[in-house]
Amino acid sequence: MERVRTALEGCRFEQRSTSDGIPAFGVSREDLHEVLQRLRDRADFVAVTFVTAVDRYPSEPRFELHHQLFSLIHEDRVRVTTELSEKDAKAASCVDLWPGAAFMERECYDMFGIRFEGHENLRRLLMPEEYGHHPLRKDFPHAGIEPDRLYRKWDRERRKNWDPSRAGGAK
Amino acid sequence: MGSLTPVETTSDGNFISTRLDALINWGRKNSLWPMPMGLSCCGIELMAMIGPKFDIARFGAEAARFSPRQSDLMIVAGTLTWKMAQAARLIYDQMPEPKWVIAMGVCSSSGGMYDSYAVVQGVDSILPVDIYVPGCPPRPDSVIDAILKLQKKIERESPTKKFFSGEAFVDERGSQALLYQPNAAVKRSSLDLSPHDPRTGSKNAPEPAKQDG
Repeated sequence: MERVRTALEGCRFEQRSTSDGIPAFGVSREDLHEVLQRLRDRADFVAVTFVTAVDRYPSEPRFELHHQLFSLIHEDRVRVTTELSEKDAKAASCVDLWPGAAFMERECYDMFGIRFEGHENLRRLLMPEEYGHHPLRKDFPHAGIEPDRLYRKWDRERRKNWDPSRAGGAK
Repeated sequence: MGSLTPVETTSDGNFISTRLDALINWGRKNSLWPMPMGLSCCGIELMAMIGPKFDIARFGAEAARFSPRQSDLMIVAGTLTWKMAQAARLIYDQMPEPKWVIAMGVCSSSGGMYDSYAVVQGVDSILPVDIYVPGCPPRPDSVIDAILKLQKKIERESPTKKFFSGEAFVDERGSQALLYQPNAAVKRSSLDLSPHDPRTGSKNAPEPAKQDG
């Protein structure tokens, strides 16, 4: 795509093959924010469709971080892929470019454990806050690790604060 | 009259003598007020069951109330997640005695196809279930059959015995019914690895979280 090549002039990137025909570019972690900013400002990719990751466990580098961008004017898409190792799974946040990416980065952190630097509110989105695991990692067991942890904690509190006058039945 | 087998009837038919248990149970079983806990697709079948085509009004259970204070039959219709489990238990606690629970569909009976970290593997691990209804989702007729079976079950209860023994007024604080105990499915999930699990034989398996019970 000529527009993208012009926008990314001077950046290091490699073209990747995709089966769905969307042009994809692999960039290094250091260049990620610069590439995304250029794509937004110079190539009219004003919207981010998704921020997600793929776990290639057990090969290393383990994670592939995907940003898919959409241009409303040209009606085309582009995908930016960044490879991250397990030990150092962090990347620059793109919330300053697209505020809507905040939730997607939070979900990505929740499910894969990838930290986004510059994200102001990087908390878990779906799993309980104190849950120590990342469910979409390939080495997470399918049936979960202690899925009832939050409920058990709540149940203990409930028994402690049990008020018979508010419960049905007991007098 | 159904189960209210008259022991003695006067010649003019204006009086009937029977056992108190039978009278109370007769009243309870023929006016069940369901609390429709519609959590997913089973909820649609539940609506069909309440509607005019299947019509549970024929069995006296048509007064669906969305307040737990006004209902005595909880129909758990659908996939119960661990996040929703707290709400489900809270609603159950707020229902006045006597109360019954129907687990509608495989998801609420056993977790169904969702052998997952997010789903409760059977609502019987957090609620005392009376009737299980198989199906995914069950047809409305199956749930009506479950209500008929529950009516038979209510017939066998003895409310007066419960009343005079004081059992009905026991503070639930110390009772086992109030205590959550993880069922076998939950315990297994933290230990077992399936043969397809890439973790098998790997050196950096994640540490299981510390038990906080």
